[in-house]
Order: sequence, then structure tokens, then C-alpha cells
Amino acid sequence: MELFLQQVMTGLATGSVYGLVALAIVLIYRSTDVINFAQGEMAMFTTFFAWMLIDGSFLGFHIHPLHFWIAFALTLVFAATMGALLERIVIRPVEGRPILTIVIVTLGLFSIFNNLATWSWGGIPKAFPAPPEIHVTGITFFGDGALDIGPTVISYHDLTIMVVAVGIMLALYVFFQYTPIGLAMRGTAQNPVAARLMGIHVGNILTLGWALSALVGAVGGMMIAPLVLLQPPMMMGVLLYAFAAAVLGGMDSPPGAVVGGLTLGIVENLVGTYTTEEYLHVDWFGPEMKLTAALVVIVLVLLIRPTGLFGRRALRRV
Amino acid sequence: MLRPIIARRKLLAFALLAFFLFYWIPFSHVFPGWGPFPLQFGSYRVFQATTIAMWAIVALGLNLLTGYNGQISLGHGAFVAVGGYTAAILMFDHGWPFWATIPVAGFMTGTVGFLVGVPALRLTGPYLAIATLALAISTPQILLKYEGLTHGSQGINVNSPPPPAVLDGVLNQTQWLYFLALVIAIIMTIIAWNIVRSRVGRAFVAIRDSEIAAQAMGISVPRFKTMAFAISAFFAGVCGAVYVQVIGFVSPRSFDVLQSINYLTTVVVGGLASILGSILGAAAFVLVPEINGLLDQLHLPAANQAPGVIYGASLILVMILMPYGLAGFIHRLTRLQPPLVRQSLIDFAQQIGLRVRTARSAPDRGSGAAPTPPKDVRTPRPPDGDKGSSSS
Repeated sequence: MELFLQQVMTGLATGSVYGLVALAIVLIYRSTDVINFAQGEMAMFTTFFAWMLIDGSFLGFHIHPLHFWIAFALTLVFAATMGALLERIVIRPVEGRPILTIVIVTLGLFSIFNNLATWSWGGIPKAFPAPPEIHVTGITFFGDGALDIGPTVISYHDLTIMVVAVGIMLALYVFFQYTPIGLAMRGTAQNPVAARLMGIHVGNILTLGWALSALVGAVGGMMIAPLVLLQPPMMMGVLLYAFAAAVLGGMDSPPGAVVGGLTLGIVENLVGTYTTEEYLHVDWFGPEMKLTAALVVIVLVLLIRPTGLFGRRALRRV
Repeated sequence: MLRPIIARRKLLAFALLAFFLFYWIPFSHVFPGWGPFPLQFGSYRVFQATTIAMWAIVALGLNLLTGYNGQISLGHGAFVAVGGYTAAILMFDHGWPFWATIPVAGFMTGTVGFLVGVPALRLTGPYLAIATLALAISTPQILLKYEGLTHGSQGINVNSPPPPAVLDGVLNQTQWLYFLALVIAIIMTIIAWNIVRSRVGRAFVAIRDSEIAAQAMGISVPRFKTMAFAISAFFAGVCGAVYVQVIGFVSPRSFDVLQSINYLTTVVVGGLASILGSILGAAAFVLVPEINGLLDQLHLPAANQAPGVIYGASLILVMILMPYGLAGFIHRLTRLQPPLVRQSLIDFAQQIGLRVRTARSAPDRGSGAAPTPPKDVRTPRPPDGDKGSSSS
């Protein structure tokens, strides 16, 4: 039982990161129908930016090392700017083209970011610091160590990931539901033409969508980096899980992305734990196939609900 | 009068192409007479051409599925793996001759493709893309796990077939493999060409454009969609079998996720729903890394350290500048007949004393230097019947 709870907790933590990156993918998909393959690499690139600020060697110059959370905030600004610029410079020229064309453009971005990172920072994995301790009224948040919650413990870093993920999701929810810009974004996602007729500047909204998505992705990158070490291919696996999570939840549903991410994280961990020789006495399956198992689960879910758990079935007009 | 001219032109184009493919690429570096010519193909280039032929096979299949039938697959690496492993296991463990494994691998993979196509019926768009991507991700893990059949992570080494005894001394190993891949690629191109122009191909396109309309016309949507998957997988399987012959080795690492994504990139860059596009895409994919060599000679820094930057940038540029891929670009080029450019070319040709058969007699261009063509020159319409450009 303890092992089970432990694995669920770990699964929730990694699942939160999958959920964040899935959220970033969904944000772009639902307004433009484009699957952004560069999402993971954009997150990796911005995480390297944060690392430079924290490490104190900015593009070869020595700067004063910044505190984690200051670097975090600056990185969010950088990520949003980068996302907006990418939309304006690279995506805007192919807007309105066939979807696959735009998907290939994002694949090009994937290649560029991956190689730029390898070129600039090398392929050697770097240790990315976990968020440092914060003391609030005698209680320690973050930092090393673990929190004892009855039958099991949860490490502070896992807790940080969950807290930050929940915080981002709440912020996005408030943004979409209760602000005029959020309303404009929802309107644009639903019907760009009608939104334009209502006086919404659709182009700006799309730019904002990319900025937001890059920002959310950057948070995911900075949260997962302490666990997997900072290196150019670090987001590859996460991106695939995030795609799967987004599809599981439904490509046009932000809450679905989060639920999908958490489910996937838990399933992955449980399958990895309970399929070892100790529990499962077969030789045709094992923990090294946990990714395959997770994907089989997704395909099975899709066969029952072809648009994911929370996705809406697109109505076709004949 | 029109027909023979076009036929002759086509014949000439085919003859040139055949000369290029069957003689120039494989033999130009061994025939001493070609020394002074600039465009020679060393054995590395012959190998590259072999690779292009292999990529073209799988790109043709994927284009039938994605371009013509509108189903996105990010999992074709899995099909190529099935074909490759079928051929390798048959040759290595059962001692089959190489030529027998190619069709068997094709049909085996086609069956797998059919089995994948049935559940795929329920999925569209990104959901299908991710489901097939899942297939591509799982493939290496499955290959590693069932090592009793697949020999696990060490892979399978197969001897590439040597040139047959009849051709001994005429062809070396590289050239023989090139011809093998080339001939199979040509056969597959013809098959794809015929499928596209047949009832089946038209059904594919009708389903892509509107499933409901296709159904209303009496097309069985599930039947043709699974058929598209099966045919597409058949192509991928043949490609896998050829891959084994050419490379002589398969391992789970040969078929990772990026490979599958690259197949889709190849098809989109070449041009969706275009036979020519599949081949051009394959050529582009193999040859784009050559740009790095060129840049390296110019001492540009990015070339050596970050080849992927060049690759990514060229992907983006192609997609921005050529929305319908390379084939679409070439199609536009052939329709582009800027009258002025054309006319000045004709004027120039006539000035240097060439007799030009033109669509219209050269008008006086003010200078009066261009002699009016003799009366007996035939004046056919432009072959494509493009009225827009022949009105001047």
C-alpha cells in the first residue's frame, strides 16, 4: 500500500509536468488546429536561458548569479517574447495554409532549437537547481527533503511541481473565464471569422496564444529539468508523453490536457512498478515496456472515445 | 501535328532520364572518357542515389495514405521495421534468397497495415497522428523485448547480396545494390501511378475531400480507408526489405521515432498527393545535408556545429515559399511562361542564327534586328493549351 501511494505521488508529480506541456500544446491547437512539435524544444531552450541566469555565465559573459525565482520570472518574460516573435516571424507567413504545412514548419523549429542548444551549450548534461527553500511562518516549502503525509512521503520538489502546475492551471482558468482578453481568445478559438467581426484583432490574439503557450511550456521545462538533468534532448520523452496526454484528454480541452497528463503519469509509474518479475510472472512483458503499455491504454481510450476524454466531437456540416 | 511533337519531347525526356539513372549515376566514375566532365558520381554518390530510391519507395506509400487519402501517419517507421525484420529474419534464420524476401516482406507488412487501418477508421486528424506516433514509439521497445525472434539489441547482420554471376565484372557491389533499389523503386512508382489513376485512387481522393460525399457516391469508406493503410504499409514493407539488402543490418535503433517523422516531412516537402513529389522529397531529404558541405567550404560557422539548424531553416523556407511542396513549385514553374522572357529568348536564339519553332512569329521589337521567320515555319499552339499566355 505504501509503495502504491508512493508511486501515485511520484506519478502525480511527473504527470503535472506532462500536463503543463500538454496544456501548452492544447493552447496552440485549439486556436489554430496546429500541433506544435517544437513545444518541447522551446521549453528546453528557455530552461537553458534560466540556467544561464542562475549559473552566472550569460552567453559567455560573467554576470551576477541570480536567485532562482528571479531567474524564473525573467525566463517567463523571455519565453513569452520568444513565443510571440516565433508566431509573428515564422508562423504568420504560413497562416491559412494546409495544416500539415504548418506542422512541418514547427518540425523545422524543432530541429533549429535542438541544434542551437547543442551548439551553444554542448551535449553534456547540466545540473539544474531545484527551487530553493522558502520559509513561511515556520513551515519550510521547497528545498531538499520530503514531506511526511501519513502513510507515505512526498519530496519537496515533487510538491513544488504540483503546486506550480496547479497554480498555472488556476491562473489560466481565471484568465480565460474572467478577463476580456481571455474571452477574446476563447472566441477566436471557436470562430475566427465571427471574432474578427466582433472587433477582435485575431492576429494579435494568435500571437498572444503562442506567447502564453511558450510561457506554460517554459514552466514545465524548468520544473522537470532538476529531475532529468538539463540537456538538449531532455524534452523529447516529455513531449511524446505530453502529446499522448493532450490526445487522451481531448485536443481542444485544457482541463482534459491536465487530467490526461496526471493519468498518464500515474499509469506510467504503476505499470513500471507492478510489472517486474516480482509481481508479474510472465516473460513477455516487463517494466521496460511501460511506455508501450501507456500508449496501448491511450489507443484503447481513443477507440472508445475518438476525440479523447473531454474533447468535443466536431460537428460536420454537409 | 501537335501529337508527335509532344510525344517526341516526352520520349526525349524519358531517354535523358533513363540515361541519367541507368548510366550516368552508376558508371560515370569508372568510365575514363568522362574525366573532363564536371558532374561525376563517385561510389558515395551512388550510395546516396540508392538511399534516395529507398526513401522514394516509402514516401510513395505514405503519400498514397496521407496525400491522396488524407490519413496522417506518423508511424511509418514501424511498417518499415516490420518489412526490414521480416526480410532479415527470413534471410538470416531461414536462409531465404534475398529476392524472395522482398515481396514476402511487402505482403506481411501490408497485412499489418490492414490490421492497423481497422482501428484507425475511428480516428481522424491529430488523434490518428498521435495513435500512429504511438506505434512508432513502441516499435523499438517491442523489438528489444522479443529478442527470441528479433535478436534483441544486437540486431541482425545480413550479407548484402553480391552481383549475380552473369554481371560479375560489370557491376561492383555498390552499383548492383543501386540497380536493385532503382528497379524496385521504378516498379513501385509505376504501381503507385496506376493506383492513383484507377478507380481505387479516385476513391481515395473522394474520401479525402469529403467522406460523406464519397459515401453518397457509393464508395465504401471503411473498405478504401483500410485498403489505403494496407497499400501504404506494403510500400513501407518493400522499402524495409530493400533497406536490409542495402545496409545489411537491422537493429531496433534503425527505426526510431524521428525516422517516422522524417518520412512525413519528406512527403510534405516533396508535395502531397503527387507521385513526382514523393520522389523529389526523397531526393531533397537525402541531399539537403550537402548544403552543410557547401557552407563549410565558405567557412560559415553554423555548418559544422549545427547541421540541424540549416535543415530546420530549409524546411521552414521551403514551406513558406512553396506551399504545395517541391512538386507544386515545379508545376507552377512549368505553367509560368512570362511572355517577355520567352520572347527575348527566342529573339536571342534567332539572332545567333538558330531556327526556332515558335508559337507565334516573332513580332518587331522596335530594333528590327530580329529577322522575321520564314513562312514555312509551323506554328502549333503551346502544348499545354494555356490560353492566358498565348494571347499576346
